Amino acid sequence: MNVAWWCSGTGQVWTWRYTPFLGVWVVGGTLIGGYVWSHRRAGRPIDPRRFRRWILGVLAVFAVSEWPIGQIGVGYLASVGIARYVVYTFVAAPLLLSGLPTWLVERWLPESSRRQRAVATLTYWPIALLIFNAVLFGTHLPVAVDTLKTTQLGSFTVDVLHLGAALIWWWPAMRPAHERNAIQEPIRAFYLFASSVLMFVPAAFLTFSPLPLYGVYELAPPLWLGFDPVQDQQSAGIVMNVVGGFVLWGIIAVLFLRWAKQREEEDAAARSERNATILARIRELEGGVERP
Amino acid sequence: MTRDCFPVRTALLVAAIAMVLAACSPTTSTALQATGLSAQPDGWRGVPIELDRQLPEVTLSDTAGQPVTLGDEFLGDPTLLFFGYTHCPDICPIHLAAISAAMREVGISFDEMDVVFVSVDPDRDTPERIDEYLANFNSRITGLHADIATVEQALAALDLPGPIVEGPDPRGEGDLIGHPAQVIGFDSDGQAQRVWPFGARRADWVVDLPRIVETW
Repeated sequence: MNVAWWCSGTGQVWTWRYTPFLGVWVVGGTLIGGYVWSHRRAGRPIDPRRFRRWILGVLAVFAVSEWPIGQIGVGYLASVGIARYVVYTFVAAPLLLSGLPTWLVERWLPESSRRQRAVATLTYWPIALLIFNAVLFGTHLPVAVDTLKTTQLGSFTVDVLHLGAALIWWWPAMRPAHERNAIQEPIRAFYLFASSVLMFVPAAFLTFSPLPLYGVYELAPPLWLGFDPVQDQQSAGIVMNVVGGFVLWGIIAVLFLRWAKQREEEDAAARSERNATILARIRELEGGVERP
Repeated sequence: MTRDCFPVRTALLVAAIAMVLAACSPTTSTALQATGLSAQPDGWRGVPIELDRQLPEVTLSDTAGQPVTLGDEFLGDPTLLFFGYTHCPDICPIHLAAISAAMREVGISFDEMDVVFVSVDPDRDTPERIDEYLANFNSRITGLHADIATVEQALAALDLPGPIVEGPDPRGEGDLIGHPAQVIGFDSDGQAQRVWPFGARRADWVVDLPRIVETW
């Protein structure tokens, strides 16, 4: 059996013979094992709801990194490659972050520690936005794709960058409101919307370029006769635009509606409190009148 | 370092070292060069041929069964000649797809230039099979075939090695056949001018095709 550490563009003929990627198993095992171990070490029970999200996040990373999706996405089809990016960024990262209990984050990042300061700097929303987009643009440049995706180490680095940048980017939008760097509506909606708009730039290049941008996909043994790398690239652009953009807009809409509902409930609560106060005052005054 | 942190840090360190070691050693013997051809000093992407080589005076058959002599039939227009086989999983479909798509892209028709595919696999490549195969790229690509001795004669005339059986195709489609991986370009007098090795991308052909039509 052929074994590799991580998926990469090898230029080999595609076959349906299973090639396990050891690195993916190690990363998946470490993420789940580390989560359980951290809880045991702290003597805390595992919250099943959070653990479910964490597991789903790890499964999302696993599914798109292991054979066959990992291999096809890195070495054969740009459309699957972009779909991997979308899953890393818009599925795995938010699930992983929402699976982290606050106490664990505080334990890993003690107040005023160097680590905490570093994370606080990276997740300050303008910096997070910058990092996310720098990684998005940088890792989709043809020279970067053709150089990095043809080696296991390079391909692994790209995947780590994608997941890392996505975690940094989601952090201020997803962490609880009381945490440092957590951003509130309506800045959060703007923050997410700005990224979705910027994502249209590489997506447009993919969709409208008349020539294949990436040699790694153009020169890979075709999966079927008549395969056209430009059509594959256009599909990749559509995946980035439609799936990435719409997923993001869906998330923005949900977060915004939730915020609006919360504000409405707060307003209603404030109104009823005010009414109760007025009513009490009136009763008090009426009582005063009745009093001899 | 506390006792509690030790196993995790050690495990991470071991994993990192294993990862670097594994990632640095390729799983396959051939590394993919995905960057395309570099520009020649004269701006072309195809590599100039120093030797004096002509379209071989070798007679093969087209898919209709008509005899075709390379050195006669393809004079008058520039010609791109490629030796391959229809079960080829990589080089042949990539070259043929790149050339036909680039011709569409720059608006060059098959009336201005000939593209010739010579089969090196006479056992499997029947005329029908060749036609069916080439239709995936462009049905105006000329498909030729002959017995293996004739094909080897044509290859030898161009200083190219003959085909060799490389072993079973991992897809289970018979044997893989080793064959020259380059496309050879001949001017309208049948003189070999340039070669495009495997790795030539559509962008490379977009640069060279208009020059071929204009100057050859």
